[in-house]
Amino acid sequence: MLRIFFALIILFSSISAHPVIFKNGKVFWLTQNPSFNDIRFGVSKTSNWLIGGRFLEDRKSNETFALVNNNYLAKRWNSRNSQANLYLLSSVGLNTKNSKGMGTIGLHGDWENRRFMAMEMIEYFSHSSALVSNSRLAYSPYTVDYSKTSTWLIAHYRVEYSDNKYSYMFFPVVRLFKKNYLFEIGYNGNDSFLSFMTHF
Amino acid sequence: MKKIILTILLLSYGFSQSKVSIQDNEISINENEAVVEVLGMVCSMCAFGIGEGFSKTNFIDKSKFIDGVSVDIDAQYVQLGLLDSKDINPEKIVQVIEDAGYDVNLLFILQNEKLTKFGTDKLGILQPIAFNLTSDNNN
Repeated sequence: MLRIFFALIILFSSISAHPVIFKNGKVFWLTQNPSFNDIRFGVSKTSNWLIGGRFLEDRKSNETFALVNNNYLAKRWNSRNSQANLYLLSSVGLNTKNSKGMGTIGLHGDWENRRFMAMEMIEYFSHSSALVSNSRLAYSPYTVDYSKTSTWLIAHYRVEYSDNKYSYMFFPVVRLFKKNYLFEIGYNGNDSFLSFMTHF
Repeated sequence: MKKIILTILLLSYGFSQSKVSIQDNEISINENEAVVEVLGMVCSMCAFGIGEGFSKTNFIDKSKFIDGVSVDIDAQYVQLGLLDSKDINPEKIVQVIEDAGYDVNLLFILQNEKLTKFGTDKLGILQPIAFNLTSDNNN
């Protein structure tokens, strides 16, 4: 149960857009699915460092976690019509009921232009000793002006390695993007989720 | 008399407007405006961050464009309205773009009837590379 719980955390962590935003920018996002509610808030102190808090509720076990996120943009490659990034991710927190600690460390790389996006994220979780890979390939069927809604079709593939065995999950995801608002919905026949994010 | 006034108006208009090129796009630039080619600006959230950055500066003329800023993600440029009373330090414009997480490739500023083109050198330092441009020689 705990492993599934952490696997879901990883999966939904990777659904957000860039882990670091513009200097002094704030980010707020919500995720809801049958397993948990996830509320996050963060501030980019610089253009390459975001720190934030997160409140996570496991709807099945009624466990809640309070976490601090620390995302660092190690390198960005800005090019004509494309961008690539390498991020270092970490988080640390407590179970709010029994004060048991948990921590994560991760590496996130992505590349995108106006039509295509590729992302890979690998994270290690101290609680379950799980190593998880999340991969995304995305395509935007059309490009639009900044003020209009853009659509991304995303194939999300997740592999978890723990206890000497692998497990796999595939999610088709639709992302809608307009100005500073992002909305994602995914469904794989068994599970579904919603995600909303805004920058301000 | 009307002809003289009309001629003066036309001449002054001619001096305060030009065209610049960003990635094969020809962009009209007026007096007290800047056009910036931004590298890496590929999504609307990127554009939003840049707009937010400029909204907190004291040199943007918010009566132009949308709160002083126009963003074209496809052509990868930002156009800015600049306050008439301010002599703009181009480094300030670059700083806002970099704080948003992006890089400046080219910057054009039309002020005091002079169009100046800036570019970044190999060390990433902004340098003026052409002065008093006309629409024919800004590339």
